[in-house]
Amino acid sequence: MRKFDVLIIGAGSIGVPAAYYLAKKGLSVGVIEKLPSEGRGQNRAAIGGIRATHSDPAKIKICQLTIGLMNSFEKEHDIDIDWISGGYLFPVYDEVLENKLKKLLVTQKKFNLNIDWIDAGKVKELVPGINPENLRGGTFSPEDGSASPLKMTGAYLKLAKEQKAEFFFNEEVKGFRIENNKIIEVETNKDKYSADIIINAAGGDAKEIGLLSNLDIPVNPDCHEAGITEPVKPFFKPMVVDIRSDENSANYYFYQNKEGQVVFCITPKPSILGKDTDNTSVFLPLVVKRILNLYPRLRNLRIRRTWRGLYPMTPDGFPIVGWTKEVSNMFLAVGMCGQGFMLGPGLGQIISEIIVDKSDKYNFILDQLTLYREFAGIELLK
Amino acid sequence: MDRIARHPVLNTNQERKSVNFYFNGESVQGFENEPVSSALIANGVKEFSIHHIGDAPQGIFCANGQCSHCTLVINGKPLKSCITTLKEGMEVRTLVHLPELPEDDRNVEHFEVKNLKCDVLVIGAGPSGLTAAIELAKLNFDIILIDDKDKLGGKLLLQTHKFFGSIEDCYAGKRGIEIADLLEKEIRSYKNVKIYTNTSVVALYKDKKAGLFIDYKNYALVGFDGLVISSGAREKNLVFPGNDIPGVYGAGAFQTLVNRDLVKSSNRIFIIGSGNVGLIAAYHALQAGITVVGIADILDNVSGYKVHSDKIKRMGVPVYLKHTVLTAEGNGQVERITIAEVDEKFNPLLEKAKTFEVDTLLIAVGLSSIDEFYNTALKFGYKAVKSGDADEIAEASSAMFGGRISGLQLAKMLGKDVAVDESWFKKAEVLKSRPGKTHSEPVTELNENYTPIMHCYQEIPCNPCISVCPSGAIKLNDALGSIMDLPLYTGEDCTRCGQCIAVCPGLAISVAKKLYGEWAEVVLPHEFIPAFHENEFVSLTDTDGNYLEKGEVMKIQFNKKYKTHLITFKVSLGNAIKIAGIRVQDEDKIKPLPKPVFNYIPDNAVLCRCERVSVGEIIKFIKDNDIKDANQLKQIRVGMGACGSRTCSILLPGIFSAAGVNWFEVAENTKRPLSVEIPMGAIINEDSEESV
Repeated sequence: MRKFDVLIIGAGSIGVPAAYYLAKKGLSVGVIEKLPSEGRGQNRAAIGGIRATHSDPAKIKICQLTIGLMNSFEKEHDIDIDWISGGYLFPVYDEVLENKLKKLLVTQKKFNLNIDWIDAGKVKELVPGINPENLRGGTFSPEDGSASPLKMTGAYLKLAKEQKAEFFFNEEVKGFRIENNKIIEVETNKDKYSADIIINAAGGDAKEIGLLSNLDIPVNPDCHEAGITEPVKPFFKPMVVDIRSDENSANYYFYQNKEGQVVFCITPKPSILGKDTDNTSVFLPLVVKRILNLYPRLRNLRIRRTWRGLYPMTPDGFPIVGWTKEVSNMFLAVGMCGQGFMLGPGLGQIISEIIVDKSDKYNFILDQLTLYREFAGIELLK
Repeated sequence: MDRIARHPVLNTNQERKSVNFYFNGESVQGFENEPVSSALIANGVKEFSIHHIGDAPQGIFCANGQCSHCTLVINGKPLKSCITTLKEGMEVRTLVHLPELPEDDRNVEHFEVKNLKCDVLVIGAGPSGLTAAIELAKLNFDIILIDDKDKLGGKLLLQTHKFFGSIEDCYAGKRGIEIADLLEKEIRSYKNVKIYTNTSVVALYKDKKAGLFIDYKNYALVGFDGLVISSGAREKNLVFPGNDIPGVYGAGAFQTLVNRDLVKSSNRIFIIGSGNVGLIAAYHALQAGITVVGIADILDNVSGYKVHSDKIKRMGVPVYLKHTVLTAEGNGQVERITIAEVDEKFNPLLEKAKTFEVDTLLIAVGLSSIDEFYNTALKFGYKAVKSGDADEIAEASSAMFGGRISGLQLAKMLGKDVAVDESWFKKAEVLKSRPGKTHSEPVTELNENYTPIMHCYQEIPCNPCISVCPSGAIKLNDALGSIMDLPLYTGEDCTRCGQCIAVCPGLAISVAKKLYGEWAEVVLPHEFIPAFHENEFVSLTDTDGNYLEKGEVMKIQFNKKYKTHLITFKVSLGNAIKIAGIRVQDEDKIKPLPKPVFNYIPDNAVLCRCERVSVGEIIKFIKDNDIKDANQLKQIRVGMGACGSRTCSILLPGIFSAAGVNWFEVAENTKRPLSVEIPMGAIINEDSEESV
């Protein structure tokens, strides 16, 4: 039986950075992952957007931390993760949305977010060729950006291993032995482990891992399809988010990554529930119609690859982070609702401070994102 | 323009319309509707793009729409030039680094999702797809047959040589190009078959639809009940320093340029790989007037049919066995290549290197099945069959027969009461046989009567000679009881009709008789435009290509049916039974440089061509990061290019092994759709004429 201070279940967007920050603070860390390498679950399906401009204090704080880490990542670790601080742009074509976003700006500014309303002319400068008809302007947050999930998670794996974190790939958690409300043994298909603290960072499988300790975690994945184009010379900078809906889809978003490829994703309406990630014929016409109406210049851009990924959703669209009452040494970092990639580094650092430094400065996050909340709110900017 | 003006088999007098177009601003000529890539190569252009990594010049590689190395800026848009047809006035430019997206900001006026329906979708109209579609069409299925080229026939269209196999089952003795015509006529006679050429499958979808990129303009979703996957094969790549410079490409690409597009792509070539593809490429080159400096194979015997390699050797092409390619070098394009002998562990012996001056190096180290559509179909639970090279790499003769079986098998899966005759399976097995035993060359006694001599003593699935002999005097020796058996002449009254000489795909039959004194007459096949006249003396060789003597040309005849010349020689009686072929290539044109000249840095070989990742970089990354999942290599861009690792994934086991990792412990890389890149505007059929 292997013993660790902390055992993390899941080597994805959350588990890998958390392993690094915990190990860096001197803990012995083990990470169990059923897939063959890091980030092979939903991390790989993330398109790479990172923004702090959410509508609630917890996610804003976590992602502000992430952005801080991204800004210094290459300098600190000498690893390129394709971070571009290109900003997030929400273009607006109608008055109702303009009012809604302007109202939200008030809240966002309260959290010291660098976000403001920009006029149509500035939008056209940021996204040359964007459909100008009825364009009213939009909100723009220049400090947000994007990075490569592939490279970032690979980098965190490398860093975590340097800090002596151990990763067990192709290994699946099969059960917990619980005594006195405490997990004293974790059994996988290959080995047995014990740890003072177990972190459930199992992404799309968070619910199943919870059930192994008789804990019902309300995380149910739905599915989004994404695509990437051929690379071309850089021609627009921000992540463009069109939060309007039509009859078959809700929002969609796209940006040009450091390689020059445009990455795009759409939220289907109604949601497609379940864990099926096989590609369907519906996606391309649906997303392309909307993208080209907004940004006709992309018409000659060739789509290279498509894929489907899961959004491990909670009932209110906010993550679940914190200790459980039922199992005293189980910490949850689940239900990231499709934002695990941008939350992961910040959350990893926060978790390390909570666990190692016993810090209480993040109690507002634990309060907001507790498993024991009502799940009654609605995330405005999913 | 470098075009093939004269060809012994192909019609070089086709009516083609000349057009002017511009390459980097200069006015040049090409033929309307030929691929832009071929027009450029005919104009001597080898460098199509400059890669953004390392400023490396890139040339054509597959000429088959699979890779994207022929991408150029055509009328302002980055396009694969091998599937873009040339038009008058086209503006073509070298692609330097990443392309710029045209500032085309017109609003989208037209949006359309096109939907098609059929009983059976046949992917690929090569030899097996065509025969499968014919069987299904006979059974009244509504069929959509698609192919990514503009003509039906697949690789048949590149095959100017006569086919092996049997006449009754797979048109043996006919040339691929002729068979393609026959099959096309037949498939077009069925009203229940709808054909889309220049059409690629973009993806197979979970909801039982396929996305088609029709005419490389529009996108349609097609619903189907069953699928025939006859998508063929892709050429395997090889890892050696210089493998990415312009002038190194696949033998299939070469055949496309030369035989389909009639472009004299090269002056001097070298071929790596002695399988049937490499051997045939050599033969095609010679017919096109291109010098074949040599063929090398790392194994100690020829991988293709012996009759094939013998034929090539007789023409004067040396085959270097137990040799591998060390480097391809030159300033921006291939100028010389170096090969070296290998030891028992296939390591090259640098002290035994030979350098040859050539302008092209063809890679013919085998094919791998394009079977990803079939694997997806299985995963989604579709009723699907695969056939031809998509199923198993074999000769086109076998593909045609196998296609018929696959068609019937699918019909049965779709509920038709049909059965495949048991004997068909046996025949199919025989047709795809690898060469069997090689026997010793039998000795024939000559007399005053004509006697056919078979220079064919390796077991291969081929028997047209027994079918064409009017007196039925040529028989199989019946040792195995299949068409793998060797042919024997059993008669006494050969009339020298020449049918067997002309039909033999291996050009392995001569007919000889005693003349007077110490002289004899030998009739040999010749698939070239004769470069000699009657009474001239011509170098003749034995079966293996060894020079025997100069024979005097007595008569030059032409067999129209088989488009083969029959040349009658007066030769010495002693050599008459040994004489098997006519040398067409001068020995001093194919010699290596007096001393080898090369710079061998194996780590510099490029593995991922799309993203230009070298072997050295990959091995270092695997070692440094303890990589056990090929997907992790995506961090250094391996497999992230246009081809989606379809070209390089087959080389990964060797690379992991070189990095000290057992491939069996490595998770294979995930292959995702799309199978071809498609512009966003095409997805919504923006330029379609029809209304929404």
